[in-house]
Amino acid sequence: MLKGLVLAFGGFVLFLAFHVLLFRLRVPERRFRTMAHITFALGVVLIVLHRITPSDLGFLPPVYTTAGWAVDLLNGLVVYIFLFFCYCHFYFLVDRGFSGRIMIEIDNAYGRRLRAQDISICYPPEMALRRRLDEMLETNRIVEADGRYRNTTKGQRTAAVMGFVKRFLQLGEGG
Amino acid sequence: MRGLVAGLLTFVAYLIVQAVMFHSLKVSRRALVLVGFWIAGLPLYEMIYHMLPDDKDIWPTLFVAPSDLLTYLNGGLFYFFLFTGYAPFFYTAESSVGVRTMIELASEPGRGLTLEELTRRYRYDRMLERRLRRLVHAGYLLEEDGWYRTTDRGRVTAAALSWFKRLLRLGPGG
Repeated sequence: MLKGLVLAFGGFVLFLAFHVLLFRLRVPERRFRTMAHITFALGVVLIVLHRITPSDLGFLPPVYTTAGWAVDLLNGLVVYIFLFFCYCHFYFLVDRGFSGRIMIEIDNAYGRRLRAQDISICYPPEMALRRRLDEMLETNRIVEADGRYRNTTKGQRTAAVMGFVKRFLQLGEGG
Repeated sequence: MRGLVAGLLTFVAYLIVQAVMFHSLKVSRRALVLVGFWIAGLPLYEMIYHMLPDDKDIWPTLFVAPSDLLTYLNGGLFYFFLFTGYAPFFYTAESSVGVRTMIELASEPGRGLTLEELTRRYRYDRMLERRLRRLVHAGYLLEEDGWYRTTDRGRVTAAALSWFKRLLRLGPGG
């Protein structure tokens, strides 16, 4: 089991290195898609490496390398994919977090304090909404015609599922 | 497989219990419930793991892993990862601006909404208010006479977020 875990964590570290390097050199237009492509490519490398390397990778303690190769590989892939998911969560928090942006604006302000109306000036909430609308247009969840926004079938389905979750878990209207 | 199956079963139990809890009670401290229930699931993971048979008794050779410390910890890690996959889904449903927008648009599937109509239903000031309230509640901000200031925790978080934004050249974002 240890080989799959080592390869998964190693693959994830490589992903981080490529991701940071690429974003430092030139921010891609479709950021998430680029991250997903790197993950996929490294995932394929991980599978190949798993199949062609010895079960102890030449340095692992033999006691932890006795698992069947299929469960080892499966486990390694699961860990690798979840590490990517966890990172995506963090990435979106940094990139799009509304609350994070509010804290940054307050912290950068003179005297490190702002009123709600000042925050609306530094960071107009309509900007946040427009950015989301643009993203939803790009991902085909909504369409825009004559200044009116409508859900696509995909958007309508997402709204139905999330609306159900909100109601079922009593999360309020939120947003 | 024993650890993975135990992790998965524990997570299914966690999912059911927290869903029943949120469905039957109006929970105000949601993060506390989500994390608290996950921690409460750890002894359950231990129990399920010990109840499951050894891999060699039920799985084909390729899927057999020894029931050692590594398999046990690996299952716990899987339980943790499943939670980290669920938590963003929960918060997306709860507070995503995009989801709320699509729900508002779903109420007018044929005609759609203009930006003005949308913001009349989904008001900016409430959006901001809700976040400020939550940040104060979570100890990132302090509120005094209508002024908001960052606490030490908020300052460290804001600095870390700014650093990552600069590192990845993400712009101000939000």
